[in-house]
Amino acid sequence: MTRLGGRLAALGVALVMATLPAAQGQAQTQATRAQTVQQKAPAAGKKIVRIGATQAVDSMSPFLAVRLVSSSVHRWIYSYLTVPDPKTLEPSPELAESWETSDDKLTWTFKIRDTKWSDGQPVTAQDVAWTFNTIMTNDAAKQGNGPAVENFESVTATDDRTLVIKTKKPQASMLDNPIPIVPKHVWEKAGDPGQFQNDQYPIVGSGPFIAVEHKKDAYVRLEANPNYWRGKPKIDELDVVFYENPEAAITGLKKGDIDLIGRLDAPQYEALKGDPNIVQWNGNGRRAAYLQINHGATTIDDKPVGDGHPALKDPKVRQAIHYAIDKQALVDQVQNGLAVPADGSIIPPMYKDFFWQAEGDEKVTFDVAKANQILDDAGYKKGSDGVRTMPDGKRKLEMRFSIHTDVPVEEKLAQYLTGWFKQIGITLTTRKLDSTKFTEETGFTGLFDIAISGWSVNPDPEEILATHLCSRRPTASGDGGGTESFYCNPDYEKLYQEQLSELDRAKRAEVIKKMEKQLYTDAPVIALYYQNDLEGYRKDRISNITPMPEDKGLFYGASGHWPIYSLDAPAPAAAGSAGDGGSSTGPIIGGVVAVVVIGALGFFLARRRRSVTDDRE
Amino acid sequence: MTAPLDTEPAAATAAAGPAMERSAHRGVLRYALTKLGGALLSIGMVIVATFFLFRLIPGDPAIAYTRDVPLSPDQLDLLRRQMGLDKPLMQQFLDFVLRTLRLDFGTSYEYRRPVLDLIGERLGPTLVLVGTGLVISVSLGLWQGTRAAWKHGSRFDRMSTGVSLVLWSVPTFWLGLLLLMVFAAGIGPIPGIFPTRGMEGVDAPDGLAYIPHVAMHLVLPCLTLVAVVYAQYLLVMRSSLLDEIGQDYVTTARAKGLRDDQVRRRHAVPNALLPTITLVFINIGFVVGGAVSVETVYSWPGLGLLFYEAIKGPDFAVMQGTFIVVCTAVIIMNTLADVAYRVLDPRVRSA
Repeated sequence: MTRLGGRLAALGVALVMATLPAAQGQAQTQATRAQTVQQKAPAAGKKIVRIGATQAVDSMSPFLAVRLVSSSVHRWIYSYLTVPDPKTLEPSPELAESWETSDDKLTWTFKIRDTKWSDGQPVTAQDVAWTFNTIMTNDAAKQGNGPAVENFESVTATDDRTLVIKTKKPQASMLDNPIPIVPKHVWEKAGDPGQFQNDQYPIVGSGPFIAVEHKKDAYVRLEANPNYWRGKPKIDELDVVFYENPEAAITGLKKGDIDLIGRLDAPQYEALKGDPNIVQWNGNGRRAAYLQINHGATTIDDKPVGDGHPALKDPKVRQAIHYAIDKQALVDQVQNGLAVPADGSIIPPMYKDFFWQAEGDEKVTFDVAKANQILDDAGYKKGSDGVRTMPDGKRKLEMRFSIHTDVPVEEKLAQYLTGWFKQIGITLTTRKLDSTKFTEETGFTGLFDIAISGWSVNPDPEEILATHLCSRRPTASGDGGGTESFYCNPDYEKLYQEQLSELDRAKRAEVIKKMEKQLYTDAPVIALYYQNDLEGYRKDRISNITPMPEDKGLFYGASGHWPIYSLDAPAPAAAGSAGDGGSSTGPIIGGVVAVVVIGALGFFLARRRRSVTDDRE
Repeated sequence: MTAPLDTEPAAATAAAGPAMERSAHRGVLRYALTKLGGALLSIGMVIVATFFLFRLIPGDPAIAYTRDVPLSPDQLDLLRRQMGLDKPLMQQFLDFVLRTLRLDFGTSYEYRRPVLDLIGERLGPTLVLVGTGLVISVSLGLWQGTRAAWKHGSRFDRMSTGVSLVLWSVPTFWLGLLLLMVFAAGIGPIPGIFPTRGMEGVDAPDGLAYIPHVAMHLVLPCLTLVAVVYAQYLLVMRSSLLDEIGQDYVTTARAKGLRDDQVRRRHAVPNALLPTITLVFINIGFVVGGAVSVETVYSWPGLGLLFYEAIKGPDFAVMQGTFIVVCTAVIIMNTLADVAYRVLDPRVRSA
């Protein structure tokens, strides 16, 4: 026994020795990367709001970050040229106080606001020019917002207050530019902006908050920026706390570990019901869900690609399918009533200026009889098994419906569609694909008949409109730029160019509505519903928060800093003591647990001794 | 093969680091070197397999990675160049092998940072969680297994075996959520005293108070982990001890008039420990990989979570890197188990 014990111990020591250097190296790298600049001040007397996020920040550098949570954090610590107005969502001044365009619509001149970075240095047009030029010239820095400067010819600062942007083609969406402006004087010294992780805290910015600490995969700590030009935020600290697991985040909200959480799905939203301290927020959403129909997919050089069902090339069949969908039922049954049935196209009604919906004869309502009538008239005859065949009698209308694996909502949707389509003589079978395969088949190789899809729309709808352009179709080698429909229609192309060079918002909206109408009637995509924005927050910890847009809009998922900037918390004492309570009771409870564990061990040992005595023969 | 040698305990240390061996224990050395060679071969095969395995995943990484972001073909090309996907497959393979041998696992597509750095950052939390879990579950499993086997058929045996098997069959994710709801959120009279996520809160104290703070965060994930895995130690220990109980030497020991406790501790248990040690060693290897489900439920910032996020990405460089690191750890621990086994059990040496 002693020999064996000795050997085991020696082995253990050897193991520990082997792992120790690794552990030490780990500790060192963490020490050198330690990002805590200030010692953590006691929370007392501070108004703190904690937001739960189900995504971890990938990078604090706006040039590199691609995740949504990172762009939210950047929205709160940086400023932009312009921001959407919180009421109307029209572009409004931010770092650019005012702007004008040349007659040829290719030159934009911005007057830059006289304000300060959080380190006291003045914000100048050179900062803006440096930011844009960096993305235009440094390939690695294109990761975050590369497409936003694609149409830029040149960006120059003619003096400290004047910025001139020349574009290759007119660009009406200029005022919805998503690029956070970074301070040149900091970034110039930080080395290659395509590599720099922006991890020198506090991060110098010009937004309402200053990032003071980022613990990777745990949280980001922001403090109010006293120099913010619109005025200091009402709360002192904003923490963005990471939860990998949405259910754990819901538990955290109920318990008070976090105060606000956005981007909920229907079951998560329902789980908040009945808690007296929690407000369930059901606002208008930015997202449209639609069916993508393979109406004869082609590559960018007009060669057919994929194996879409030939019947879907016929607009009449697509129209019949549209008539066979009960959108209200889908909203009620699939989305728990937390969505708006789509009587329009790809732009949700939240964007009042650009939203279009069908009226009168154009409007497609759920009508199985009419759908059957259309198919009968077009010569698709029903066989004895109730399934229709092509007019030439060669192929049955048996189609695939592609959805993602592990998305219960889509499976439910598939069941409803299968039922309705059966009534009009179309057999629908569901294909579940993992997201990589799904993207490939529905966006590049065209190996689908009907697929589920969706898009979150920005205040300027240019991006989603562009997903139906001919140029977005894949190349013959299978590359390409992300079409949402393989659509290619000369009329649509013309309207797209027209809206892009129409700088008058009202006139531009008219053109955009024509594009939506065309998508509605031609039906390469069929909009199903617009999901509501579902969030939850604690009313005992958040005394005020204004959604964006102010009428039933969004908080966390908003396309601007407004809701978070509007945050207010109850009197500091309450928030402070609540925040403090955790940290001061923590060690005590920890101590208690330790004592209990030791006690239990002692008890077991004692019992063991006793039982040993009992065992004696 | 070789004649049994009288190995001193120190040889165990030497066997762990064969390169430094200067003693004359040739047999052990030769045995260790053979095992080391086998291990290196396995690691080489893992590297080769990793490359092709991750190429088998359908879909173009550049496209998968940029889905929902409209990019022009030019930008996709740029991305492919950055990922090294534009080169021929053989070239990619050679690059990959050479870089891996230099411990360069490439740059994460998503984080834009070296994969090795990402893995290094996550190793600490994983070792804390899974290391603690392993120590507790091994102790618990061995203790209960020994007791259950010694009092074979008793109520304790039936209870502990039954409970551990039930917990073993419970889905980790589900158990984690359940514990989270009960002990983190609090239900009815049970107060929610444990945190809902991570290894530390935003208001983590500095200095000594940091240790109980992390300990509080560790309780639930560790409990989940232990509950789900300790059954294997219990069962292995129980069955191998049952084998030993019937042996003649145990009867002899009893006949010598040894106390029951002494028969168990000095004779039966040391012999029954051997299969368990193999199991423990192999699991130490897996410790490095973290516990994907547990880390996901509790947002524990370890390697398991990194791997999970890489799959969601998909971030191939990170997936490959973590895969190789975990496989290598398992192979190394297996090799150590072989060597340790030989040191601990003279029968293996003469075999």
